[in-house]
Amino acid sequence: MKKFLALTIAMLMTASMAACGGSGAASSAPAASSEAAPASSAAASETASAGEDGKFELALITDIGTIDDKSFNQGAWEGLKKYAEEKNISHKYYKPTEKSNDAYLSAIELAVKGGAKVIVTPGFLFEEPVYIAQDQYPDVKFILIDGNPHDADYNYKTGDNTVGITYAEEQAGFLAGYAAVKEGNTKLGFLGGMAVPAVVRFGYGFVQGADYAAKELNVPEISMNYHYTGGFDATPEAQTLAASWYQSGTEVIFACGGAVGNSAMAAAEQANGKVIGVDVDQSPESQTVITSAMKGLGASVYTIVSQFYDDKFPGGQNLVFDATNEGVALPMDTSKFEKFTQADYDKLYAALVADTDGIASNIMKDTEKQVTDIATTAVKVTVVE
Amino acid sequence: MNTLYFLVQQTMYFSIPLLIVALGGMFSERSGVVNIALEGIMIMGAFSSILFISVFQTVLPGQPVLLLAILIAAATGVIISLAHAYASINMKADQVISGTAINMFAPAFAIYVARMIRTVQQIPFVNQFRIEKVPVLGNIPVIGPMLFQNTYITTYLGFAILIVSWMVLYKTRFGLRLRSCGEHPQAADSVGINVYRMRYAGVAISGALAGIGGLVFVIPTSTNFNATVAGYGFLALAVLIFGQWKPSKILMAAFFFGLMKTIASAYSGIPVLAAMKIPNDIYKMIPYVATLVVLAFTSKNSQAPRAEGIPYDKGGR
Repeated sequence: MKKFLALTIAMLMTASMAACGGSGAASSAPAASSEAAPASSAAASETASAGEDGKFELALITDIGTIDDKSFNQGAWEGLKKYAEEKNISHKYYKPTEKSNDAYLSAIELAVKGGAKVIVTPGFLFEEPVYIAQDQYPDVKFILIDGNPHDADYNYKTGDNTVGITYAEEQAGFLAGYAAVKEGNTKLGFLGGMAVPAVVRFGYGFVQGADYAAKELNVPEISMNYHYTGGFDATPEAQTLAASWYQSGTEVIFACGGAVGNSAMAAAEQANGKVIGVDVDQSPESQTVITSAMKGLGASVYTIVSQFYDDKFPGGQNLVFDATNEGVALPMDTSKFEKFTQADYDKLYAALVADTDGIASNIMKDTEKQVTDIATTAVKVTVVE
Repeated sequence: MNTLYFLVQQTMYFSIPLLIVALGGMFSERSGVVNIALEGIMIMGAFSSILFISVFQTVLPGQPVLLLAILIAAATGVIISLAHAYASINMKADQVISGTAINMFAPAFAIYVARMIRTVQQIPFVNQFRIEKVPVLGNIPVIGPMLFQNTYITTYLGFAILIVSWMVLYKTRFGLRLRSCGEHPQAADSVGINVYRMRYAGVAISGALAGIGGLVFVIPTSTNFNATVAGYGFLALAVLIFGQWKPSKILMAAFFFGLMKTIASAYSGIPVLAAMKIPNDIYKMIPYVATLVVLAFTSKNSQAPRAEGIPYDKGGR
């Protein structure tokens, strides 16, 4: 009896495994099948549109995330797709098999073989692969988002066929901080993930934007709690920290660190607090998100790709996208502001673009310095270790 | 006073999942099967139940969805734990290996299935389960704000599980038999107890509780489920050992860990603690240091079930 039972279970398990494998292989979407069989060298995209000769001129390689990650990959892909569909250019994305330089390089090779003229690589993880690939494929143009190419020893070199794009996170943070104080909040919080340069610049901009608005409004004091959780996960620790800030009077928390933001939102829902999102428009994730400090991923990819087709590809340059070329933004359409108006936003944005009185160039963004080194008049920063 | 209420309320979010999962681990280990798969089972339980909530919360009202989700989490936990039970009881495999296998399998499975169904790995949910104030009880001075405001049904479920666990383990025939299988299965077998069945029961209960624990963990801490429970399954194991495999001590251990975790994260919002300027690393260390100390002093007369981790072999009687 027992043997029979064991045999049955064994057969069932084999059958179910076979079923899993079968459905994966038979699945019509190639992207799905590649997940079931990670051994295949690289995956094709489901939204590819081939040119007449079966080649794809515009290519994007995803980093560790997926094409619909609501972050870098998706943002960059949307910009690329927009241009490609407007001009009817063949385009496709490739998914590396794993997170390693070799896998990234073989995905790039695949894209080149597939006829790519321009390859977009979103994420700083591509800094080394692009450094190698730019010499390997001199006829192909590379657009590196959120980083500049360098080798393993951090020798930076951006080839003539490559553009490195970074974003002025401090300006995005500045916009968020300014808006938060203009809304009438006087107790703010900054909850960062790991203290990587991008996160730090967001934070510094946030402090200075708040300070700038406080000076404008003659608010004598703005208090700000400032903390890095050291990770990018949603944890009860992060939730409790955020909850304790709301409990002690904090009105808005700028949550800047992946899923840490979700913990802040959970705490905000509990305490009727408010959250400012980061990187992309995070308003769909929670009612408590009043706005987001966005990077203009799509806009920057769109700009560079169109420059390529106009024979103005800015090869060899490392560009910083800021307010002057729509590199940073607040999503005003989905923001839940009561006092901070579109006119206020446009005015500030214009000032940042024109750098009126050095408003943009004076933002301290040196990540070597501590947040307490920032000269502020109204904002009082309390660093929480 | 508000700070105190706040601390107690927050502590619940840490302690209740730890309590439930550690009690689950207790049932498994008291029956003689080491269950280090708690982390993986938590993930599976949270995954299936959050997915359920995500789909059905638009059609069903708040609390019933949560109660159904709890049942689903428990059922998922049982199913997954049966794999562990089969490997470690019938196949007499090393119990650590199948446990580790489940821990590695669970997050991968959760991400894979979530992506197949929803194309993104995060499963969002709207937290409509928080109870602002329990009627009547919430108005009691002191105790009301501490225990009956800003709370979840799951908090009371945790205490109910504690009481039921204690009753089952010490006051029923089943509990006695379960414990005997963990201490000396050969002797239990000799008086006609089916050791295999008892161990299956122990592991299945641990699966159910760990699954529920996963759900209870995720609900107050995030707005989506991202295939992780941040190592709280392993922390529950520490609570289990710190609690010396006894329900009452597990309760104390869970609240000790929970309180320390809360203070470590929340001290910046509490004026008294913020003024003391103790680095939060100290608070973070305390539960682990305490576990080490307790283990060092009690290892000689540790209350660990004697036959824990040893596959039962009828022939060895």
